[in-house]
Amino acid sequence: MTAPLDILHVDMDAFFAAVEILDDPSLQGLPVIVGGTGSRGVVASCSYEARAVGVRSAMPMVEARRRCPRAVVLSGRHGRYGEVSRRLHEIFEVFTPIIEPISLDEAFLDVSGGHRLFGSSMEIAEAIRARVAEDLKLSCSVGIARCKLLAKLASRAAKPIASVSGPLAGPGIFVVDPERELEFLHPRPVSDLWGVGPRTAERLARYGIATIGDLANVDAEHLVRFVGRSAGAQLHDLAWARDDRPVEMGRPVKSVGHEETFAVDVHDREQLRLEVTRMAEAVGSRLRASDLGGRTVTVKLRYGDFTTITRSHSLHRPVASSAELVKIAAALLSGADVHPGVRLLGVSVSSLETRAAASGEQLSLWEPAGGETDLASAARADLDAVVDAIRERYGVAAVGPAALVGASGLRVKQLGDSQWGPSR
Amino acid sequence: MKFRADRDTLLETLVTASRATSTRSGASFGIVGLKLHLRGQQLEVCGSDPDLVIEARCEVAGDADGTVLVPSRLVVDIVRSFESGAVTVVAGDEEVRFQSGRAEFLVRVAVGAEITRLGVPEQEGIEIPGAVFADGLRQVVRAALVDDSRAPQLTGVLMIATEGGLRLVATDSYRLAFRDFAGMTVVEPGGQVLVPAKALAEVQRLAGSGKADDDRTIVFRHSDLDAVFDLVDVRITTRLLRGQFPEVERLIPTSYAYHLHVARDDLEAALRRVRLVVRDTKDATTPVRLALHEGGVDLTVLTPESGRAEESVEGVFEGDDLTVAFNPSYLLDGVEAVRADTLILEVNDPGKPALVRGEGEDEYRYLLMPVKVS
Repeated sequence: MTAPLDILHVDMDAFFAAVEILDDPSLQGLPVIVGGTGSRGVVASCSYEARAVGVRSAMPMVEARRRCPRAVVLSGRHGRYGEVSRRLHEIFEVFTPIIEPISLDEAFLDVSGGHRLFGSSMEIAEAIRARVAEDLKLSCSVGIARCKLLAKLASRAAKPIASVSGPLAGPGIFVVDPERELEFLHPRPVSDLWGVGPRTAERLARYGIATIGDLANVDAEHLVRFVGRSAGAQLHDLAWARDDRPVEMGRPVKSVGHEETFAVDVHDREQLRLEVTRMAEAVGSRLRASDLGGRTVTVKLRYGDFTTITRSHSLHRPVASSAELVKIAAALLSGADVHPGVRLLGVSVSSLETRAAASGEQLSLWEPAGGETDLASAARADLDAVVDAIRERYGVAAVGPAALVGASGLRVKQLGDSQWGPSR
Repeated sequence: MKFRADRDTLLETLVTASRATSTRSGASFGIVGLKLHLRGQQLEVCGSDPDLVIEARCEVAGDADGTVLVPSRLVVDIVRSFESGAVTVVAGDEEVRFQSGRAEFLVRVAVGAEITRLGVPEQEGIEIPGAVFADGLRQVVRAALVDDSRAPQLTGVLMIATEGGLRLVATDSYRLAFRDFAGMTVVEPGGQVLVPAKALAEVQRLAGSGKADDDRTIVFRHSDLDAVFDLVDVRITTRLLRGQFPEVERLIPTSYAYHLHVARDDLEAALRRVRLVVRDTKDATTPVRLALHEGGVDLTVLTPESGRAEESVEGVFEGDDLTVAFNPSYLLDGVEAVRADTLILEVNDPGKPALVRGEGEDEYRYLLMPVKVS
């Protein structure tokens, strides 16, 4: 009996760039790059026309522009991508409930329960691609294999290929034959494996290990010496295509946060206070939108020399109120050294719990330390509710704290803006 | 320095002193020190954090006087690991030898470990009956704030002179505990001191551990900055807390519309049971609901993760049926602290403070804010 081929890895093709082209057909056929548009930005996604001249994801935007001066560079619209991603998920849900989202544009599916209704894994993959093309007017690649590792590599093998004369259609679907898994896996570079980042790859290269096949032929005990105990054992298994990680549904969100890199390092405490206000306020909105509250608030600072510090404060109860988060984050910031100049600032909330589970609110005899009364706290909750309602109707930037009004109007932090670097 | 000591006695002395260091950051890495000081037949062990010093003494067979700093955690663990019997301790310049039976440890002297020195007030000491005071502390210390990031003054217990004697007050803003000691003059009339609850917890532990017939006396003295509690063989010196303790008297309602009388033990047992479904007992948001009715009270805890627990406790209730919710751990703290057999729970409104007290036990009151449930 052959092993079942039940794991699908679905990956959208040049997702952000493809959505931009979909929404603005005049971009069709042009090299489109989505990412941070400023000098410190990075490429988040690019069309195949851009790839043909060497632009890649995660490449510094400066480098991308150098390689492709005629590229259309867009800063991206996170909200729009999220919307398309949700519709993509709805398509997946037709075929299986066992979905593990990896990011907005890729997911693992376990289709073992769908064969009677929808046919073989191949037929399901074809149906998904057809639905994506028809409903979303976008294309995706699907890898089919016995395990997640191989399925992910297979979807890459299914991708279109960039060329100077335009993208060449890939197979769209790639199946890793269980009989020929090692044949597929071993010629690939070690960096294709999970857990092999640039540093590990470099260390392995020093021992003459370049391909997964090289890795497979190294004694497991030696490997442990090169890369450490747990990583060693895991890599050895993966190199022999032993991967029994299940497709995990709905991994719960661990934290909600925003961070932003500034165009130039910021030394001014007052400016940082405004930025932290902006981010904490937005984090509050997102928490409330997901019915979450968190007990730990963290402020992260990265200095010009890339050293990073974090400052956290834990509370005895989950909070989601914007005003409270702003207060805590500002206090954390005021305790941090900003003198060296801040390159990146972030605010996040963790130790999350759903507010439905937090089924009550402990009332105070009074609010300590000159804070507010329960009356004020109730008013604050009402304010949050009103702000959320206005934003739902008129958009995130429709309302925000007065402190954030500047010369260019209200600057409200939105999900996804500046996430690939500052815009200037 | 060189001495022989009984293992159990030495361990107790080390543990007592090390409790001052236990919350100090770095304690787990062994960089927090205990100072061992031998003079004649008396060994004094001193542990400290920046605000608290505990000096514990015991009799040993001393051979050579001296002083040495040892890593707190490691030395406690070593002596604890010895069998009962004699322990020999010999300090060299760089190492201290701990030997018992055939086991021998050479421990590096804790170079650079800091020992806090606090000034001992020169004022004349006031004697406090230890067991009674410890009992009162047990009732009150629990209401103090543990995490001091919100309001440091709430991590203290207020000792305040009243007309009738002494009052202890502690609050974390969610509950408020009062204990009166009639006729006990500890603080000068009109005066008050705010003592860290952490120090008082140690006083309570040491003074309360005596047997009933052995009512140890505590000698208390304080200045504007520090306070000292002298117990048999132990001196606890603490810095006093600064900052304004809230005006709490005004928070206490003058009357209550609803009164529940229940057997204290029954309510405590029921609360302990229903609380089991609360996964994180520090969770202030999963309440126990108390449905008060003519026949007593029905307790319910409901959690989305673990499930549901219910229990009825018989009692006498005056007033219309009413449901009020509390943090189960906070309520349990108050119920546990009551001494009387019959407990009275008094409520005005599910959003207003409720009072827990014992019938005929006027010296103790525990005021608790409910949890608002929708």
